[in-house]
Amino acid sequence: MVPFLAKFYNLDRRWLYLAMVVILSVPVIVQIPLPPGATSATTQGLYDLVESCPEDKVILIDSSWDAGSASENRAELECVIRHICRKKIKFVVTSAGVTVFGPEFANQVIEPIAREAGYVYGEDWINLGYKVAPGSIGLLIDAICKDLHSVYPTDYRGTFVSEFPVMDRVKSYKDFAFVYCVTYQPDNAWISFVKGQFDVPVAFGCMTIAAPGYYTFIDSKQLAGMLIGNRGAAEYEELNHKPGLGRILIMATSFGNLMIILAAVVGNLGFYAARALERNARGGTAR
Amino acid sequence: MATRRLIVKLLTLVAGLFFILEFLMPGNRPGWFDSLPAPLRGILEFLIRGNDQNFLSPLVPAANTILMVVSAMAFLLGPISLVRSHLARIVRRQPGVFYSITFLVFLVFGVVATAVEKVESLKLLYNVAFYGFGLALGATSMAILAFYLMSAAYRAFRLNNLDAGVMMGSAVIVLLGLVPLGDYLTHALPEWLQLGFWAKKILEVPNVAVQRAVLIGAVAGAFAAGLRQWLGLGKVVE
Repeated sequence: MVPFLAKFYNLDRRWLYLAMVVILSVPVIVQIPLPPGATSATTQGLYDLVESCPEDKVILIDSSWDAGSASENRAELECVIRHICRKKIKFVVTSAGVTVFGPEFANQVIEPIAREAGYVYGEDWINLGYKVAPGSIGLLIDAICKDLHSVYPTDYRGTFVSEFPVMDRVKSYKDFAFVYCVTYQPDNAWISFVKGQFDVPVAFGCMTIAAPGYYTFIDSKQLAGMLIGNRGAAEYEELNHKPGLGRILIMATSFGNLMIILAAVVGNLGFYAARALERNARGGTAR
Repeated sequence: MATRRLIVKLLTLVAGLFFILEFLMPGNRPGWFDSLPAPLRGILEFLIRGNDQNFLSPLVPAANTILMVVSAMAFLLGPISLVRSHLARIVRRQPGVFYSITFLVFLVFGVVATAVEKVESLKLLYNVAFYGFGLALGATSMAILAFYLMSAAYRAFRLNNLDAGVMMGSAVIVLLGLVPLGDYLTHALPEWLQLGFWAKKILEVPNVAVQRAVLIGAVAGAFAAGLRQWLGLGKVVE
């Protein structure tokens, strides 16, 4: 048994990589019918925010992600947009200071859903585009909250926002129902400025790996809700009664996580077996 | 030299004061405003304009524009320094010269592609640079993390003491407890034995305690560093 296990010590890493590729691909190709589990309080918090959104308010969505974090951020944006469109709430999309590709990736997700829901660009929603942060992202967020029109005089295509009716309804933080920031790791400045200074609820959609840093703000009620990676998106899709990308990708994450645990177990078994063999070879005295 | 230092320190002080005052000063007049004597009311009327605006608020857009220009100038320092060091490596034919050439070629390519973005006939250059290379490389570098994690778990994670055991235990609980597979594996057990229950406990109790400690430490450090710079006690880089 020990000599067999010792073989795992010097396993060619390419086998592990191949196993990872297979295990991540299968759940995407073949749908595995595993329920996403109980809805977490963080997901429910965001869902309740959309449900209780007043008719005269507009939701500000900061969609600042691109191909690098699309694996989780896309599903997080998709499920919330689907819910917003079902509720017929108007929304404004920004990409504040993270990636220049933000507006185009947001459009790829929003346009088909908005079209399906009968939303008209400029009347029901608008994409204001990317804005570079002047010095710090906090100052940009502060400026967005105080005077959205001065920060964004045009939309992402360069058309003046004064030409779009939806922008007549939204001038400053007073018109925001809440702010939903979807990115790899949302900046704490959203909490400091939007919630702290203007008392507008804030919700995040972040990568699972970044989530532990925000539990402290959930606990203090400074964050009203949070979608934690694909798990959060899958839970939200369950609440929406419309399974989607999150449900598919959380399965890949499930098996990927299992694979990482197995790799650690195999690595340790191989290491200790190889050490035992070496000790036996030296007469059982050396360590 | 001393005058230059003084100007830098004065500018820092005034800029810091501007943003602090603008942030802290209320924008709406309090309820007892009308009961104040006329001269005091006049001063307060100047300072607090109402409708969330204090006397500094109208200057914020201009200040942001100035900041953007200064940031852009500071941003240029990075590429200039990189170009100098890579050119020096090429001229001296030091090891890694191939990487330096690659860097310079793509730097020029990126700058040219951005400059001609609005020219319709040359739009392809921009698309190749940013959608062809930029996006693909960004996605690839993030995807490689999966293999890196796998390799690290196999090679580097050794259960050779109690600390490593605790870390491994909590990692297994959180990794499986946050995904449906973990829920499925333990769904038949009582709630307090389920992986999801313990993953939640780990994230909401010890994790929050540690995150708060780190956050308080980091914020206190940032505050001290900011205060030093603002009051001109820090190093002036010339």
